[in-house]
Amino acid sequence: MAANTDRSSAAGESFVLTRTFDAPRDLMFKVWTDPDHLARWFGPKGTNIVKADMDLRPGGSYHYGLGMPDGSVMWGLWNFVEIKSPEKIVLIQHFSDERRGVTRHPMAPTWPLKTLSSTTFTEVNGKTLLTLHWSPHEATELERKTFIDGMSGMEQGWGGTMEQLVAYLAKIQG
Amino acid sequence: MARLSTTTDVFNAIAEPQRRDILALLAKGERSVNEVADSLRMLQPRASKHLRVLREVGLVSVRDAGQQRLYSIDAQGLKPIHDWVSHFERFWTESFDRLDAYLAELQGKPSPARSTPPVKEKKHGRKH
Repeated sequence: MAANTDRSSAAGESFVLTRTFDAPRDLMFKVWTDPDHLARWFGPKGTNIVKADMDLRPGGSYHYGLGMPDGSVMWGLWNFVEIKSPEKIVLIQHFSDERRGVTRHPMAPTWPLKTLSSTTFTEVNGKTLLTLHWSPHEATELERKTFIDGMSGMEQGWGGTMEQLVAYLAKIQG
Repeated sequence: MARLSTTTDVFNAIAEPQRRDILALLAKGERSVNEVADSLRMLQPRASKHLRVLREVGLVSVRDAGQQRLYSIDAQGLKPIHDWVSHFERFWTESFDRLDAYLAELQGKPSPARSTPPVKEKKHGRKH
């Protein structure tokens, strides 16, 4: 991944992503929780939020549709568990559909239906250290295995070439 | 949907530790079923069964070489996993790059240099 993204993988079934942003924490928290702000950055290049419904409170949710370059829409649903401004947001993340249903991503049907995601914002000298922590939530054995394999793969650079993927497989233990 | 079942089956296949051991071994080069069984201290029928599952999901291919059949990793079979992980990784990297630029715009600062590496860049070291 990018040079200024530090990654670490916690032992067990979680994956942690960290990155420092050149902005104070209050602003970071705002762009992460205000739907109008989210629409300006959330999603890969070439995508745009086509629909969003934000109810920011514990027990509330954010339902969004991400328009993809090929014209399809990828839906997501966040159920908020804890919101502590400006330092922390805990939510349960799901792939979704237009009707706020919970679905599987077609590329990874055994990926956990629910992922617990914890985002923390730590201010350091006017910049913000963002920490994203993911773990399977109420998951089956197979979902947990898929998650661990996938996240380990990312840790080892599966996002890279096929040769790197094969080399990684040569290293992993059962 | 053909693609859906392929991805499920591939993930199911690699969820089994002994099959991962077989893939790790085959990553070093092609092997016969007896070589697989011996290296991994498995009974031949078990090795044979695992290899069949791996072939069915397209992770392993086989070729006839005179008296024996040699198994090797089929890179095409790994593609669904590879694609999913790339997708996930790209999602966050690109979102964060957009966030960098957006934050700069909001604060009236110059846009930071893009951090998405060019396609051919070799993997950088990972810190823990």
